[in-house]
Amino acid sequence: MTGALWTYLAVFAICAVGTAMAFFVPAKRAAESIAWAGGGAALVAFAAGAQGLAAPESLVSLWSLPTFGPMALGTTHLAALFTCIAALVYFPVSVYTAGYLRRYEDRYSLPAFAAWYYVTLAAVMAVFIARDVVSFFIAWEIVAIATAALVAYEWREKANARAAYVMLAMSEAGTLAALLAMLLVLSREHSLLFVQGVAFGPSGGVRWAVFLLSFFGFGVKAGLMPLNSWLPRAHPVAPGNVSALLSSVVLNLGVYGILLVNLELAPVSSVSFGTVALIVGAISALAGILYATINDDLKTMLAYSSVENIGIAVAAMGAGLVFIALHETALAAIGLAAGLYHLLNHSAYKGLLFLGASTVQAQTGQRSIDRLGGLMRLLPVTSFCFFIGALSISGIPPFNGFASEWLALESLLRSAELAPPWLRVVFSLSGAAIALTAALAITCFVKAFGMTFLGHSRLHPKQPITEAPRSMLFGMYVLVAACALLGLLPTFVLAAIDGALAPVLGGSWVQHTLVPAFFGARLPADQLPPAFLTTFHALGAQLGYGIVPGRGLVVMLRGGSANPVVFAMSSTYLAATLLLFLGAAYLGRRVLARSRRRTAPSWAGGLSSIPPTMTYTGTGFSNPVRVIFNAVFLPARTDERKTIHEHFRDAIRRAREDVFVADRVVARPAIAAATWLAHLLARMHHGRLPAYVAYALAALLIVLAISLSR
Amino acid sequence: MSWFLRGIRSGIRTEPLSPDAPVLAGVTPGFPRETRFESVADARDNETRCPTGAIRADGEVARVKRDRCIHCMRCATPDGSAKMEWTVDHEWAHGGEGSGSLPAAFRRSLHVRVIDAGDCGACLNEIGHLDDPFYNAHRFGIFVTPTPRQADVLLIVGPVTQQMQAALKVAYEAMPGPRRVVAVGACAVDGGLFGPSVMCGSGAADVVPVDVFVPGCPPPPLAILHALRAVCGQEPLER
Repeated sequence: MTGALWTYLAVFAICAVGTAMAFFVPAKRAAESIAWAGGGAALVAFAAGAQGLAAPESLVSLWSLPTFGPMALGTTHLAALFTCIAALVYFPVSVYTAGYLRRYEDRYSLPAFAAWYYVTLAAVMAVFIARDVVSFFIAWEIVAIATAALVAYEWREKANARAAYVMLAMSEAGTLAALLAMLLVLSREHSLLFVQGVAFGPSGGVRWAVFLLSFFGFGVKAGLMPLNSWLPRAHPVAPGNVSALLSSVVLNLGVYGILLVNLELAPVSSVSFGTVALIVGAISALAGILYATINDDLKTMLAYSSVENIGIAVAAMGAGLVFIALHETALAAIGLAAGLYHLLNHSAYKGLLFLGASTVQAQTGQRSIDRLGGLMRLLPVTSFCFFIGALSISGIPPFNGFASEWLALESLLRSAELAPPWLRVVFSLSGAAIALTAALAITCFVKAFGMTFLGHSRLHPKQPITEAPRSMLFGMYVLVAACALLGLLPTFVLAAIDGALAPVLGGSWVQHTLVPAFFGARLPADQLPPAFLTTFHALGAQLGYGIVPGRGLVVMLRGGSANPVVFAMSSTYLAATLLLFLGAAYLGRRVLARSRRRTAPSWAGGLSSIPPTMTYTGTGFSNPVRVIFNAVFLPARTDERKTIHEHFRDAIRRAREDVFVADRVVARPAIAAATWLAHLLARMHHGRLPAYVAYALAALLIVLAISLSR
Repeated sequence: MSWFLRGIRSGIRTEPLSPDAPVLAGVTPGFPRETRFESVADARDNETRCPTGAIRADGEVARVKRDRCIHCMRCATPDGSAKMEWTVDHEWAHGGEGSGSLPAAFRRSLHVRVIDAGDCGACLNEIGHLDDPFYNAHRFGIFVTPTPRQADVLLIVGPVTQQMQAALKVAYEAMPGPRRVVAVGACAVDGGLFGPSVMCGSGAADVVPVDVFVPGCPPPPLAILHALRAVCGQEPLER
């Protein structure tokens, strides 16, 4: 057994100890115990992931159980990267939990929360080290059930129980499809252990079935369109720390499943699969951000935004899968790296935003953006953290969303190197959709931050609103630091992602193609042309080598001799430049514009003061998007007429309901069809005994006929 | 399509601001001009005939204080022969204590916030005509804006009633600099028929510093346009 696996086992042990601790410490300390044990477990898990990334991949056969067959544990670099991502979120969320759970102290059982919390953490880790179908799906199911239990933690609320039920039901359906896909793959090798590189024909029907079942089966968990009706229901009702975990950890599991089947077990052989992933990803991104922009609920908005971000990541990975099928490994590496990088970033900033939104809810008791406002003055630290999260998710440099979104878009722009024209069209359209998504994301988060934290407070609090306890703030600080570092040091993050992709791509392609050795004089012959390097060194590309030794701080794809640089980006240098500019602007303002400044009360249209109800609301801010994309939203409008007095015209109360497009197109018709079928079948249940006996006989006869005919 | 054809058919209706413009019938009522009469009695006669004290006899000369005149025409239609002479120009604006026209950057872009500080409706009506095709203030880059936060010029009409004094001050405070204030109409210039009285002071200058005065009751759109063009430096402004 290798070191990494022992570390994983240590995580399980800490989880077990933590569960016991939660039951035995006094109830007041139960929440604190999660911070210590859960945080510790997360740190150990991060170490396990780092170890797994550094060490060669390993496999340990455990035992062979009579019904389950052989079971094996092992570490792969891909799973190790996902472990790191999960641990990165679990640590701050655990600390956050200490302060956050206090609001439930008298109403719900804290040890129960702790138990499900540790079970989720352990099961997520188990998913990453499971190397056979049985243990993988046992762990997978435990995650599904435990997260459903966490979502339904406030079980006395009807909406929570309902959301958890929808989530569990959809997750089970997806799991069945995914299980079928995995069995289809592994049955070719007659093995229940994971076998890498199972070969299929060029694009047979079975391979299509495997792809579609795995993509949409795991896609349910990942929140991809159109099977994500559970997502905007479960995220807002779950406790705040659980929402963060759902978005930042559980959705990643779905993507891990897709990659496990289609990249590791049976690498895709046809461009069609990657194209499907690309299109679904782009549609998810656009639909997600559209609904996020118009949504008024802070946490539902973030849930839709998760659909968007997973969509971007999956679209980039889809591009990677297309390039794999075309044997363009270098470009495939860029696409896959962009997707994984975006997943990592999404986990960091979405965790941060969910923690921020939950803090707002915990301190004000309100989640509706239209009813919040002016929180900057009341919750300054939370506002700062949410602001950094909003900057990151909007793709504003130098924060992390920029680096990965930029890389994802660049990978889609490589369509020029594709042969089939229809594929170029698909790539261009998807790229356009994702560019539009990025623009809408800014609108969405300007609204979310501006209307929640700036302006006048629309709240009428019963008791004064105070800043959150230190444990909650600490959790957010950690993620703020993660957002900044992941954005400032893209070349170092890409090195880690390269480690994860190296086994499946056969070589460290990401490092080779994306991060040229910019620093120092130790340049291999195939690196950049000397004249080119001289120019860049003269521009100051060596800057920072003394502080952060490495290959360089520039992410760059080199082309042929005609254009030596296809694209290049360095958010590190960008940040330095930005700081210089900001400093200069600040100084300029201090020096030049000081004398002309005049302070005056804000204009209230002639009134003595502005009532908060008169200020701009989130609904008002996002209304242009609502109007422009009316064809997508297709809102159900209801006009309610009411006669107030016969001499006056009827009063009309106009209501509008935006149903999520996935609900409208898939979930509701499916439910209607199932209900119709059930009604049809119910006709058989009329209560006459002889008829039932006849059914049984008929069934028996059919079975006999089938078995005799073989 | 019909609006397009109709527009073509009707041609350009905008007043070109030619030297002939002021004599067009109904465009401006005009002002009495300083007139030398044959006898002192005629001048004194006109002074007593004026209800607002705009005419003051100085020997045989009847001097005119335009700020007070409300174009009642009593001095233009006397029974006898002692008529005041009348002008029909439209360049009525004159500068106040303020700092003259705005810097050159505002020459082709001026945003105006109109404040009704107790207006009878006449001046507002004339201001409303500024944007119509005939006067078309847009061609000079003059635009009406709904908020003082975006305005360069505050256009005040009415004698500034007590209820409006605070609001006017706030609106003036809310304006970014450089800014100018134009008082339009006899009321806003010096209180007109209403002030000073228990309900209002003697014009806008009581409350905010006024840069340009436009007398008249009401001043016609061309006169207001002249004042605005003077504020943004398109035309010279008399002191």
